[in-house]
Amino acid sequence: MDIKNRFTKPIGRISAKSVIVVWLVILVSFQLQAQTSTTSGKVTSAEDHLPIVGVSVSIKGSTLGTVTDIDGVYSLNAATDAVFVFSFIGMKTQEIPVTGRTVINVQLENENTGIDEVVVVGYGSQKKVNLSGAVDAIGSEQLESRPITNIAEGLQGAVPNLNIDFTSGEPGKAAQINIRGITSINGGDPLILVDGVPSDAEELNRLAPEDVSNISVLKDASSAAIYGARAAFGVILITTKTGTRKGISVNYTTNFSWSKPTVLPDKITDPYIYMRLLETSTNNTPWDNVNYSDEAYLWAKQRSEDPSIDAVRVNPNDATSWEYMGNRDWTHYFMDSYTFSQKHHFSVNGQSEKAQYYLSASYDDQNGVLKISEDDFKRYNIRTKVDFQVNNWLNLGNNTLISLSERTTPSYLSIWDLYNFFPTDVDKNPDGSWANTAVGIMAAKLTSGGRSNDKYDQLQSTFTGQINFIKDILKVNADYTIRKGNDNYRWNYSKYRIGYGPDDIREEGINRAHRSAAFDLYSVFNIYGTFQKELGGHEVTAIAGFNQEHNRNEWFMAEKDDVISASLPTIGLASGEDNVDEDITDWAIRGAFFRLNYSYNSRYIVEFNGRYDGSSKFPSEERFGVFPSASAAWRMDQENFMRSVRNTISTLKLRASYGSLGNQAVGPYGYIPGMNANQGNYIIGDEVPQVVSSPGLVSPNYTWEKVSTTNFGLDLGLFGNKFNLTFDTYQRDTEGMLTLGRDLPDVLGATEPNENAADLRTKGWELSLDYRNSLLLMGKPFRFNTRFILSDSRSEITKFDNPGKNLTQYYEGKDLGEIWGLQSDGLFRTQEEIDQLDESSIVPWGSLSIVPGWPKYKDMDGSHTIEKGTTVNDPKDLSVIGNILPRYRFGLTLSFDWNGFDFRAFVQGVGKRDYYPQDYLYWGFYQQPYAGGYKHLLDFYRPTDDSEVDREKHSQSYIDAGLADANTDAKYPILQSWLADRNLGERIDEAQGLGIPQTRYLLNASYLRLKNLTIGYTIPEAITKKVNIASLRIFVSGENLTEWSGVKKFYDPEAINDVTDKINPASSTSRGIGSGYAYPFQRRYSVGLNMTF
Amino acid sequence: MKKIILINSVFILLIAGCNDEFMDRTPETSIGTENFFNTEDDLAMYIYGLYDFSGVWNYSNDGYSTTDNAANTGNTELQTMMTGNPTSSTITTGWEWNRLRSINLFLENAGKASVSDEIKNHYIGVARFFRARFYMDMVKRYSDVPWYDHVIQTDNEADLMKARDPRDLVVGKIFEDFQFAADHVMKDQPEGAVDNWVVLSYMARAALYEGTFRKYHSELNLVSTANQYLNLAVEAAGKIMTDGGFSLHNTGHPESDYGSLFTSDDLTPNPEVILPVIYEDNVINSGWWAFMFGNYEVSPSKDLLQAYLMNDGSFYNRQAGYETYPFVKEFENRDPRLKQTYAYPGYVLVNTDTYSQGGGIYIQQLQKNFTGYHQIKGFINDKDATVQNNVDFPVIRYAEILLIYAEAKAELGELDQTDLDQTVNLIRSRAGMPPLTMNPAADPVQQARYAGLEDSTPQWAELLEIRRERRIELALEGYRYDDLMRWKAGKLTEKEPVGLYFPGLGKYDLTGDGIEDIILISNTESIPAADAKEKNSLGVTLVYYRVGAFGSDASFYLENGTSGYVGAVRDRGTFIDPKYYYRPVPASDVTLNPNLSQIFGWE
Repeated sequence: MDIKNRFTKPIGRISAKSVIVVWLVILVSFQLQAQTSTTSGKVTSAEDHLPIVGVSVSIKGSTLGTVTDIDGVYSLNAATDAVFVFSFIGMKTQEIPVTGRTVINVQLENENTGIDEVVVVGYGSQKKVNLSGAVDAIGSEQLESRPITNIAEGLQGAVPNLNIDFTSGEPGKAAQINIRGITSINGGDPLILVDGVPSDAEELNRLAPEDVSNISVLKDASSAAIYGARAAFGVILITTKTGTRKGISVNYTTNFSWSKPTVLPDKITDPYIYMRLLETSTNNTPWDNVNYSDEAYLWAKQRSEDPSIDAVRVNPNDATSWEYMGNRDWTHYFMDSYTFSQKHHFSVNGQSEKAQYYLSASYDDQNGVLKISEDDFKRYNIRTKVDFQVNNWLNLGNNTLISLSERTTPSYLSIWDLYNFFPTDVDKNPDGSWANTAVGIMAAKLTSGGRSNDKYDQLQSTFTGQINFIKDILKVNADYTIRKGNDNYRWNYSKYRIGYGPDDIREEGINRAHRSAAFDLYSVFNIYGTFQKELGGHEVTAIAGFNQEHNRNEWFMAEKDDVISASLPTIGLASGEDNVDEDITDWAIRGAFFRLNYSYNSRYIVEFNGRYDGSSKFPSEERFGVFPSASAAWRMDQENFMRSVRNTISTLKLRASYGSLGNQAVGPYGYIPGMNANQGNYIIGDEVPQVVSSPGLVSPNYTWEKVSTTNFGLDLGLFGNKFNLTFDTYQRDTEGMLTLGRDLPDVLGATEPNENAADLRTKGWELSLDYRNSLLLMGKPFRFNTRFILSDSRSEITKFDNPGKNLTQYYEGKDLGEIWGLQSDGLFRTQEEIDQLDESSIVPWGSLSIVPGWPKYKDMDGSHTIEKGTTVNDPKDLSVIGNILPRYRFGLTLSFDWNGFDFRAFVQGVGKRDYYPQDYLYWGFYQQPYAGGYKHLLDFYRPTDDSEVDREKHSQSYIDAGLADANTDAKYPILQSWLADRNLGERIDEAQGLGIPQTRYLLNASYLRLKNLTIGYTIPEAITKKVNIASLRIFVSGENLTEWSGVKKFYDPEAINDVTDKINPASSTSRGIGSGYAYPFQRRYSVGLNMTF
Repeated sequence: MKKIILINSVFILLIAGCNDEFMDRTPETSIGTENFFNTEDDLAMYIYGLYDFSGVWNYSNDGYSTTDNAANTGNTELQTMMTGNPTSSTITTGWEWNRLRSINLFLENAGKASVSDEIKNHYIGVARFFRARFYMDMVKRYSDVPWYDHVIQTDNEADLMKARDPRDLVVGKIFEDFQFAADHVMKDQPEGAVDNWVVLSYMARAALYEGTFRKYHSELNLVSTANQYLNLAVEAAGKIMTDGGFSLHNTGHPESDYGSLFTSDDLTPNPEVILPVIYEDNVINSGWWAFMFGNYEVSPSKDLLQAYLMNDGSFYNRQAGYETYPFVKEFENRDPRLKQTYAYPGYVLVNTDTYSQGGGIYIQQLQKNFTGYHQIKGFINDKDATVQNNVDFPVIRYAEILLIYAEAKAELGELDQTDLDQTVNLIRSRAGMPPLTMNPAADPVQQARYAGLEDSTPQWAELLEIRRERRIELALEGYRYDDLMRWKAGKLTEKEPVGLYFPGLGKYDLTGDGIEDIILISNTESIPAADAKEKNSLGVTLVYYRVGAFGSDASFYLENGTSGYVGAVRDRGTFIDPKYYYRPVPASDVTLNPNLSQIFGWE
């Protein structure tokens, strides 16, 4: 695809739409004329008749307005037929027509914030004041003003201890969603329900954020217990919009954005410096395999000093091949550019006496960072939601979502490789063919090596019914949902052409077509009755119900080699070797649940929740569990003794809860030993036979992990609830975590079966602070709203069968995420220092030489030997040097609006986190001599100045960078490849050299990120009305605008989020996970508009 | 009210049926043992999953296992032991039993298959063959190991806490397995599959190993039982020779027949190959890469090169000053197999790789820690990846069977000229070498290598030459380590492997045309700028190397700094006899099962 076209076309589209609209609006505004007069008055409180300061007085349908002064007095110039809107936080808004009056005095009544506010909870909704659990809710306004593509983006940093981590910036990539920290060593996510239907982070990606009405987050056991076994780690309830306004309302929202990667590594591009350092790095090792010829250095020097010299030439020793000398950071070549994305959302909604409806359609097209080939994610959504009041006791409804998403990339896309090119590579030969370098081959693969296309089509439909037996007292709801998802994934490899020499262009690669399909079928049935009765001060809500779900996933794949035609890369047109496979899994759950909520005078609240739950993932004798919870709350502010301070303390609620839930985050057939069939590794006769592997060991009696949570909370509202504080503290015990049972002798010949053998305790707290107010600024009301959230959690293993406290396994008392490492003592300066401290046991591959400039460590155990111990009680020179888990996660939202302008800034971050780098992106040549060349590593130890002869050979750039001079006061050690080799393994017993975490290079990975900045302007209604637009807002917005972090020089601070592997001391982290090799996060700049007809 | 009753009944029904079949979900794409092992296909699928034959990687194993055939730069187990202070806490690999469990699981279940006894016994035989091989590997490392012929359950304390069984018992069981397999595994099997000849070959190999090991390792106190296994080796090898129908690959081209065995795209029709691992481009790739030429971790040694005879059958070390022969002269008039194993002066390199120089006549690349010799045995000198991916690997060659037969016979003292003519001399003839006769002259160098042999066995003179023949014929195919162990020649691994010899600084010819290709300068000097470099008479710029003593800042190391052998390994350490012929049981397992005591001085 033509890059230039892709970039410019959308700009044309913007001009076409928005410019016309804006122009019309301006035209119309000039024609605006009306009869005006000045009206004034005083605003007082209905309760105590005292004047209220700061009441916003605005003219309905315009941005004009004012705010009352210290005496509660206002004065406003307005049309004689205008309508004044008096609003103040915590008070009921009043609309009063002026009708020619010049004095209007108003009494505002307390709104009693919260009294009527309703929060969605499990199988129903509840008045916020009656909540006794830890529940947080946010409304659509939090999401709407910002052009997000995934609801998870909007939730990140919005609710304390709702921890949303993106592990990459890939379009369409699902987030990691967690509530309140580490859940279980086996994982365990919050239960996410969209309109009552269980979904996962992947599903959230299929939801148009504009369709969301509100979100509740149930954090403690009591509020979640009604969902029983799957809700141990919290519940996120997402409710989509429905028609609420009489008549028809039509909305259109659009947004165009341009994005580019946030952080890309800073590489050396000077060919001479790169080559010389690469060779130096291997010279100091037993594997001196990089030896550039003098001719190569000479050319590099010439290119360094005069970049206009050709980067490609015919090899002087071999006229049939090209020779290359590039000087470019090729990561940027592939990824550093602005790519264009757009989204559109259209909805029609309304309400009549007998029906409510909401219909929406959206289109989202996100482009990834890849510049030279297609790399995008498209999503098409249609949602229809209708509710009919059939008669006075029956309500029927349907909620249907069709979602199609499509991810297209080159088949050969490998983010890993895009980071690791040598700058000395070149992309193209003089004849225009792709160069015979890693860069040229990658470019050829990406542009002509085949495409990967993954389409996921989903249809979900829910039928709901509600029977009112006794109006407002007893009702029964039933719903049935079917979700059908089809994954249609295909890719192909095509041959590509590489130019080896002037007349030598070769076709390389293979021709293969692959297709796989997955069919997901998921059904949910719920039926529950709700009884609600208020009598005197007594209020009772009781719910009892039944739920069952079944999920089935069928997958198969087929692939075939030797595709006949590159333009029709299908299995049907392939003639070579084929390969097919299939996998089927299913699980079912079933449960009965209840909730009993009682409150007296909205002052004393108790609630019981419980569920009897079963899961097919456990053997039938261990299948069912009972999961009860209880909670209580006390509205202290309602007490008489608080009356005197009610003006200051408007809300004061204390809450406590305890509950025991279950976790079933295990495979579907974990208790059934099975043998899987695979393709074998040997050719027998003329075929590769299928083979089966022996079954693993299973434990016959394993069951739910039990998760019990204790929660204490405080809700505090001050000054008419202008200022709100919510604080919760909790302890969550995950008991009977499935893990390897007793360590048995290896002669067993199999991994020990999983048993419910380990316990974990997570403790934490969360805080949110809100402050809302309004004041008069230049005669216009200035409303602002700030919200700050902060949370923390820590987890500790409280039981694990590791009596010796081996460091390569969990052990009792282990703080999860802790980093064991060595204490740095700088670098060795002399041979004498080396002789006095034996570091031979930490030499990578046992083969590198310890020389001056080598890392030196503190001898913690006084043995004159640096050694890694194997147990906590005898760690030798190891100690805990940090913790990789994030702490003090925070989010700060600042927003205000004034005179039609709205502004919102959102900052998110992590207050404390350590990170020890273990791959090329930090260590470059120290890791291995196959990638690297980062500028930060130039400060490496150099024992002596180079000789004059050698200086003569160096490029000026090398001399200027000081690389020919001694540098004994260096940050980094002597340049030795393999010194930081992660290929030995990252586990503490495996790691050697700089692969062992140590204090000198431990990074502060806390960060603060300006996630979003949005400035909008709502064109006055008076103007837009003339063109029949009810409201029109235009905005500009930026996502991930900037960040502050100790790791920013090396990675995006969010690119190292994926630490799941690193938390388990027994696992050896797979390459590329959590090491910064993420698909780049993107800075996004966008313009958009929201329009309502 | 009706509504309420209806809804109540639904509730009750639903809850009553809570634990019904709706909640029973079983896998559909994996199968339990109770539903498997019924048909011949079931048995075959499981057995094919047990295949574990080595591939082309074996061509570097003489280096990776630390022998006198090659140098290595990695931390191989034996070298780590010899240079360090090994304990059961540091030498922890190898005590792995998953494979045995898989095999025993098959043996426990195969009986129920509804197939004829003949077929059933064939598959049971193959499984027992794999078990015999598994245990043979265990015995090689640990000597005494617990013997299990059944699957161990997690609650079976007696099995889990079992002590080691004595070697004699275990090996006895191993040969029961081999014998059962030899009696029941069928002869006609598809190419690449285990057949009767494969079983007999491994049986012969194991018998020779055990026989010679017992004979030379008096610490076992099993010397008197050695001949029993040597006889078994003769018997098994002899059966292959008389009934197998195999023959050496000999097309009358001694300069290439031998080498072509290791670069063939199809070994299945080759009469010499008893078991090939078949590779096919894009089906199962040979996984081959150019490490041999890339100075990557291993390089062949001078010691091996000097073991090759002259092409007239005489000892190389009879040449005066052979120790200091220049590279080019080392290849003159030698056993033709040398030039099919080592890159020789004038070798034309086609397949160039990241680390090697461009194509054309190869000038030996010298680099520190490598000998400077390069291996072409198994090296695919072709740029085309589809060719490289398509190379078959000979797991068992008939040549090895002949060598087993000859060696076992000689060890028994029963070797005669007929035996030699039917074994070693066939190999020599294919290689273009004169035959070996009885009572050969003793090569003092070879005699020193295997010091004491003349006192241990009557046909020692023949054995010295059979051992040489074995070392040459099977060079760099991964046999050397086991051979050194069973001959109790572990001390030979102490000798630091060296490479080319250079009498001093200056210019040298490495391509054999008499014109200098490289120049050695002292590491106190700097390599001149490109335009100041010397050219040879052909106008080609000389390759410059700065040389120095071990550990100095140099392009490569010379023994005496500016002269001597190219040094590859600084210190091979000490081979502690007999401790290092065995490995310790990992400390973590001894902790779990204190009945596993260590032997031969391990702690």
